[in-house]
Amino acid sequence: MMRLVCPFCGPRELREFQFHKTLPAGPGSVFARTYERIDHPERSVEHWQHVEGCRAWLLVERNPSSGTVLRTVLLGGTP
Amino acid sequence: MRRGTRVSAGTIRFQFDGREYCGQPGDTAASALLANGVCHFGRSVKYRRLRGLLTAGPEEPNALFTSGRYPAVIPNVAAPQLILRDGLDLRSQNRWPTLGLDVASLLQAGGGFFGAGFYYKTFIWPRWRSYEPLIRRLAGLGAAPGACELAPPRVEHLSCDVLIAGAGAAGLAAARSAVRAGARVVLCEREPRCGGELEFEVGSIEGQPALAWVAATLAELAARGARVLTDTALVGGTGGQLVLHGEPGGLPGANTLYRVRPRAFIIAMGSIERPIAFVDNDRPGVMLVGAAERYLARYGVRVGREAVLFANHDRMYAAAARLVAGGIRVNALIDTRGDLSGMAGATAAQRDALERAGTRCLTAHAVVAVEGGRRIRAVRVTQLAGNGAGVGAETRIDCDVLLHSGGWSPCVQAGLQEGGLREYAAALGAFLAAAQPPWRALAGAANGQLELAAALMDGHAAGSGAAQHAGHAVHEREAAPVGRGDETPRLEPFWRSPAAPRLEKRQFVDLQNDVTVADLRLALAEGFTDIEHVKRYTTLGIGTEQGATSAVLGAAILAEFKGEPPGAVGTFRARMPFAPVSLQSLAGLRVGCAWRIARRTPLDGWHAAHGGVLESSGSWMRPRYFRANGAEPFAAAVAEARRVRASGGIADGSTLGKIEVAGADAAAFLDSMYLTKASTIKVGRSKYMVNLREDGIVLDDGLVLRLAPERFLATTSSGHADHMLSHFEHYRDTDWSGRRVTLTDVTEAWAVIAVAGPRSRTTLENVLGAQWRGALANLGHMDFSAGQFQDHDLKVLRASFSGELAYELHCRPGIALALWEALIAGGLAPYGLDALDILRVEKGYLVSSELNGETTPHDLNMGALVALGNPCLGRDLLDRPGFHEPARPRLVGLRACDGRAKFLAGAQLTTPAAPTRPAGYVTSSVWSPALGEWIGLALVARQLGEDAPLMARDPLRSAADTPVRIVPPVHFDPGGARMKS
Repeated sequence: MMRLVCPFCGPRELREFQFHKTLPAGPGSVFARTYERIDHPERSVEHWQHVEGCRAWLLVERNPSSGTVLRTVLLGGTP
Repeated sequence: MRRGTRVSAGTIRFQFDGREYCGQPGDTAASALLANGVCHFGRSVKYRRLRGLLTAGPEEPNALFTSGRYPAVIPNVAAPQLILRDGLDLRSQNRWPTLGLDVASLLQAGGGFFGAGFYYKTFIWPRWRSYEPLIRRLAGLGAAPGACELAPPRVEHLSCDVLIAGAGAAGLAAARSAVRAGARVVLCEREPRCGGELEFEVGSIEGQPALAWVAATLAELAARGARVLTDTALVGGTGGQLVLHGEPGGLPGANTLYRVRPRAFIIAMGSIERPIAFVDNDRPGVMLVGAAERYLARYGVRVGREAVLFANHDRMYAAAARLVAGGIRVNALIDTRGDLSGMAGATAAQRDALERAGTRCLTAHAVVAVEGGRRIRAVRVTQLAGNGAGVGAETRIDCDVLLHSGGWSPCVQAGLQEGGLREYAAALGAFLAAAQPPWRALAGAANGQLELAAALMDGHAAGSGAAQHAGHAVHEREAAPVGRGDETPRLEPFWRSPAAPRLEKRQFVDLQNDVTVADLRLALAEGFTDIEHVKRYTTLGIGTEQGATSAVLGAAILAEFKGEPPGAVGTFRARMPFAPVSLQSLAGLRVGCAWRIARRTPLDGWHAAHGGVLESSGSWMRPRYFRANGAEPFAAAVAEARRVRASGGIADGSTLGKIEVAGADAAAFLDSMYLTKASTIKVGRSKYMVNLREDGIVLDDGLVLRLAPERFLATTSSGHADHMLSHFEHYRDTDWSGRRVTLTDVTEAWAVIAVAGPRSRTTLENVLGAQWRGALANLGHMDFSAGQFQDHDLKVLRASFSGELAYELHCRPGIALALWEALIAGGLAPYGLDALDILRVEKGYLVSSELNGETTPHDLNMGALVALGNPCLGRDLLDRPGFHEPARPRLVGLRACDGRAKFLAGAQLTTPAAPTRPAGYVTSSVWSPALGEWIGLALVARQLGEDAPLMARDPLRSAADTPVRIVPPVHFDPGGARMKS
């Protein structure tokens, strides 16, 4: 099972996280941002939440074809 | 007493097909029955042919037993894996009434009827449905249990440096080199004993007998802290986590599911022997060479008295010599290879032993047929011409067991996942796994190294490589163990004996599913050329053995028919699980309340003790009604609702979702999250608010209370708090408006009691005491006041979900029961969910039936709120033209035209102009005591007005249609005078 590296909790099993959505590739209208989901096989930028842990919201960039996670960034940062 | 590596002295009694047999401790059901002279172990699925054992492992296609008595049966247990225990009650499968006399086997006579794809071509006239009951009785493998009395399995999570699957020569060598490099090793072995083929292959390693080396290596592994799991098979895994399943004894009962995260993984799972296809190769008494060796070495069982061996490689000579030494007479050795004469493939010692035993050797010959229906009596053999065709007359050789082998197929399934590629190795006539990721390797027979010395070196190298990958340094001087066993078998691929075309339908390729050579030819003729299509059309390899004995054979025969090399045809995709796993093991501990938690409020005990009928509502247990008010739900709910309007009642609202929103940006944040502004709420007041999704659809509704200038309490629908919390956190963290906001789910920190009805205020004044009198008197509609009850925090909010004068008491869970009982003592009685539903429908209040994920605020008559123009989430997409079309739904109230008829939620609403195209549907419906008739709420097309003639149609639940009319959604007290009094 895939693992994601939560910035607070470290590497955790995928089942602790909840997928929210894939972001569209570039900027666009409100309609495009809400509905368009053009899937790129090599690069997917996604929002996940660590619901069974610290509840941090994460931006995860990964390669869906190979399953590798390219980067994981905390959304929101420190206030 | 038999002697073997796995059996010890003693007696175990068990039953098979109603007869009692004895075996020894360590025996499997297969070995014990063989020792008792049993040769019939079941019948095949389709043709119901009598079958014996083919193998000595879990890949067994024929001998699948049912253990136990209905309803707690366990079907499809492979006999060679089932360790005997006292009192075992086993039955063969696929036969009725008995194994010896099976009525359905009469269908055998129509052999050609049930070829591949027969169900597309037969049982059609006059109606295929009429054949269904018969086919259902005959089809299937084993009978499903009716009850399960097993204890839940253990679940273990492990991480290690190196995981090695398979503890044969290569696996043990790999484990040893890895631990010597300092790696943490987990070694799993699906058999009860380690050693693999070393159990019967007589060899020596590092100067000692092979089994002594196995014991010494296991001792060293234990001393260095490696974990060795026997009776544990690799079943699958992805993403760096592998799953092992431990099932000691071969029956579920003490299972363990392991989830392992290794840094490196070695597949040393050996290889599985392949059969050859010849006419009637499924008769009882036809077995694989390796099976006979295993039964002899492990259990001391001789599978027959006179054997004929038939193979295409050198290993059969070593096997024959061992079988002769073990007391089985070998009448003949049939070698398909033509370039050798005499026993050129044997070593000198083996040749001597066999010649002394009087064994004939026929090279360039093949077994073409088997004589004997219930048990093999003899084989018929012909000479092979260069092109594989038979030449000359057939020779008949007596025997009571035929042992054959077409070679070995390495167990590469685990190496074909996540990028591994199949590669055909012509020398082996089998497929290897190539293109492995850096953390995974195959070793030993699984890697095509069939000879002991090579397997040991291969394992040693893989172990060192894995340890290095895991970050440990490996000493260069560490040498591989040197061993000497059977020579590398020189093999010439041989897949099927020559046969007349009409006999091809008795050359079996997949014994478990009765797939024959004729079926493969038929599939190809009908246009199924891809191996995946052939698999599905013929059912090749879809049984419990999943192609272990049949996949490569089937692919090679298909390749022969297509005129392609087997590498071009390939085999069908290897899928997890690699070994059968019970669903119970996969479920692990997630059963019962660990699977579906039942959340209970602080008042749950009181409800249960006082006749409250509790039902799950989402994850919460809530009282639907109280039995004191009526024996059945309808009457009780009506009585409770009536009493609330007449005098008063209390309800447990603790399941209400509550989220505290605090911080400098809290007000601005809530403004952006709700349709209307929260920043305009004064401290001490609350407001009914609605959330939108980003696409403009209504997400949820609730009250927002302002506790302090920078502190709010947002309530959500029951069971929605988790979702709304994530929703808020997401938008806070994506900078919707200011990030100085803390969000806390306080659903379980506050119990909520709704007090509703004309007597609610006076009862509260009595219960809460003098210090609350002034606050209660001054409390306007939607105001709240904070104070204490018996030294505990209490908030009293004046809000109503029933349309009566009502209050919501928010108190700490610890004091909830005392407060509730005080209210009961004060003269109020409880009401449940059903009554709550009646009251809120009478007032047109909304719940999830109306907030169903498809409605916009416009649909729900909130246009005025939208017009206030608060720039919130969802605003942008709310104004699109599609949301204003005439067919768009609108929330309305409904009454029956004749004032008495019933209509239910879910009924479709149609107009006479379009009687089959619904213009809407009923979302809620209750019988209203206040109005004396059925009332409801519905979503109907916007263009329909109050004079529209509507019919409520509910064909599944009611025979007649009900004429209904549209009314305003607030059925009772439209002005709200009662709650604002």
